[in-house]
Amino acid sequence: MSTIVLDSVSRWFGNVVAVNDVSLTIGPGVTGLLGPNGAGKTTLLAMMSGFLAPSSGQVALDGRPVWRNTDAYRQIGLVPERELSFGYLTGRQFVRANADLHRLPDAAAATERILEVVDLVEPAGRRLDTYSKGMRQRVKIAAALVHDPSVLLLDEPFNGVDPRQRMHLMDLLRRLGEEGRTVLFSSHILEEVERLARHIEVVVSGRHAASGDFGAIRQLMTDRPVQYTLHSSDNRALAAVLIAQPSVRAVQLRGDELHVQVDDLGSFALGLPAWAQQHDLTLFELSPSDESLESVFAYLVAR
Amino acid sequence: MSEYHRSGVIHDLGYHGYVGPREGTATIARTLFVTGLRHTYGLGRSGKSKVLPFVLLAMSVVPALIVVGVVVLTKLPTLPTSYPNYVNQTQLLISLFAAAQAPVLFSRDLRYRSIVLYLARPLSAPLFAMTRLLSLTAAILLFTAVPTTLLFLGALLAGLDVSDQVNGLLKALTLQILLAALLAGITGLISSISLRRGFAIVGSVMALIVVSGVVTSIQAIATTQDSDNLGVVAGLFSPWSIHNGLARAWDVDVAVLTPPEGAWPLAYSLVAMLVVAACVLGLVARFRKVGSR
Amino acid sequence: MNPTIVKLALQALLGRRRFWLLLAFPILLVGLVAVLAAFTDAEAAWTVLPALGYPLVLPLVAILAASSVLGPEIDDGSIVYLLAKPVNRHSVAVSKWLVALVATLVAGSLPLLLAGLFTGDIARAVALSVAAVVAGTTYSALFLAISAVTRHAVVASLMFVLIWEGLLGNLFSGVAWLSVGQWGLRIGHEISDQLPDPANLVWACLASLVVTVGGVWFAGDRLRSFSLRGED
Repeated sequence: MSTIVLDSVSRWFGNVVAVNDVSLTIGPGVTGLLGPNGAGKTTLLAMMSGFLAPSSGQVALDGRPVWRNTDAYRQIGLVPERELSFGYLTGRQFVRANADLHRLPDAAAATERILEVVDLVEPAGRRLDTYSKGMRQRVKIAAALVHDPSVLLLDEPFNGVDPRQRMHLMDLLRRLGEEGRTVLFSSHILEEVERLARHIEVVVSGRHAASGDFGAIRQLMTDRPVQYTLHSSDNRALAAVLIAQPSVRAVQLRGDELHVQVDDLGSFALGLPAWAQQHDLTLFELSPSDESLESVFAYLVAR
Repeated sequence: MSEYHRSGVIHDLGYHGYVGPREGTATIARTLFVTGLRHTYGLGRSGKSKVLPFVLLAMSVVPALIVVGVVVLTKLPTLPTSYPNYVNQTQLLISLFAAAQAPVLFSRDLRYRSIVLYLARPLSAPLFAMTRLLSLTAAILLFTAVPTTLLFLGALLAGLDVSDQVNGLLKALTLQILLAALLAGITGLISSISLRRGFAIVGSVMALIVVSGVVTSIQAIATTQDSDNLGVVAGLFSPWSIHNGLARAWDVDVAVLTPPEGAWPLAYSLVAMLVVAACVLGLVARFRKVGSR
Repeated sequence: MNPTIVKLALQALLGRRRFWLLLAFPILLVGLVAVLAAFTDAEAAWTVLPALGYPLVLPLVAILAASSVLGPEIDDGSIVYLLAKPVNRHSVAVSKWLVALVATLVAGSLPLLLAGLFTGDIARAVALSVAAVVAGTTYSALFLAISAVTRHAVVASLMFVLIWEGLLGNLFSGVAWLSVGQWGLRIGHEISDQLPDPANLVWACLASLVVTVGGVWFAGDRLRSFSLRGED
């Protein structure tokens, strides 16, 4: 169980501030680091993995700073975005070299074990420059996992990976998170983050915009109406009832769905069953239609 | 509520295909040539890329200025060095310039495969390769012509015989064109084969400076052994010895250990042109191969 | 000294096209001297070595070797895979330097010895190869340090060798105090008088040692502060 703590971390390159006073904690489980391109995700990951010094603030793993701390790499596995330039090595040789560098007591067994975990046993004898993109990602993950680290940092791991391999990778990361490891991956593609990580950290223009479960974040966005989709026995009658309520901002009939924009979620939630019953209407389905990561993200980016 | 006449129009601001007149291949090639020429001197690129070419150019111009100063002040009757001899003396700087700047034009495009975008429509691979080669040749020619012209102007200032100097200048510039073509072809081909800039430079240095040194050694040994022919043959293997040999055959005062005589100058010129042609073919083949993948 | 890194650096050096470039230098040199010694006399063949082999081919081989083991990996960031390990950075630098050193000595200094032996005078050949061993060691450490600092390591090293040690060194004798090649020659001078005597012996020994140790230490120190810049 390892925790990464960033404490008022900033990083600037000359006049450009890449990371602006970010404080966050990454704990066990899968966390998604979300942000548009240029938001500072790679810079944050570089600082967390000890490959970039913060201009101010502290980056600590289990209480000890990671910058210039080579011992920390026993616990960290890093999967950078950069391409491998060890194309002349075979998959097995590359993972084995990583295992040897960690001075594992039984490097050969660890290599075979991890190749099985990422499902690369059969192509392990081929040179890396004959691998497809997805296979290269998996071999990078294998190299990062061979020493059984408690922290795994991945920089845009699903970039350019085909859908089938992506599902495989996501399963792997989910399993690792459930084992209690601290898995952090960065992405700017919302669907991936939505499927894999419930807990997210959002970074926009170098600032820490939001953190936590994205459903919970949505609840905190009180200056925007919440949207619900309703199915009932008589949508038009229900619409007429709802628009009369002060907590409802707008209603819209679309096909056989009733879309409702609600300002005051509390009183709406309390009152809805009563209003339906008063007018002899049956509610079949009530679901939030904007508790998606996309709406949360669009809101945070636009602020 | 008043009624008023409503009118409106929505302008189609979306993307339209271009159907107007387009520039021809000649203009595209000319623009590419000029851009390539500017890039070899770092113009149109970052500040750091200007340092090396201009430092080398300054280092090759300073002695010329000193020579001009000496001639003017001491009223010498002739220039202490002929134009081709000056180029020969500064050959290290010229070779370094060619070796260091050829990768700018050839290695980068081919390494990052952006060449495929260039070849997609406007220029074919042969035309593209030749235009780039022309840019590099022009850049090297400029590098050698600037000090030469400075010497010429200085000589005119000092009142030396005009027709003599013009004669010398024309001969020198002709030779420099051949030299620039040779240097550009060799370094360009090496840079298009070895796509990492550092190793292309080492390869070019080996081809230009080391081989040149070997040829000079062989020529020196040949004179001590009284087998001048060996030295003349060895002179075919380095652009510098070809340049100097041809200058000597043209009655210009250059320090050549084993000057070519009889039919040899013709052989030198033929070999030079063959080498340039071979480099052009090699370059076109490289560009075709990388562009077709 | 880390055997895995040595193995990786060796594979990087040998498994590429640039290996043939590395091999071409010694073959050219030894072949040339052998041919000249066979067809003319040994003295004439010898002149190639102090004029071309020692001041030009040896440093070129050192540049190629030192920049091959470190340059490309730092350039495209894949050295991260070697650094994201609990491995001492200085041991990474030392391991890479050892590979570059062996390559320089085998492809640069050894051919000078072989070529020198072809020309007859054994003491002179040994002297030059001792000078080549010292200079090769210092060169490889110096160029390794330069590779760790800048992306333009090859050009910078070439400028140093060709312009500083070559051009200016031939013009101004004072340059000999700061010229790696001259230090080597001074040490070789102790064995054979045929080599020039440019600077002070103690200075040459000390300077070579300082630059060698300092260069490798500096490369290790730069690796400690290696930073991953994002494309963001």
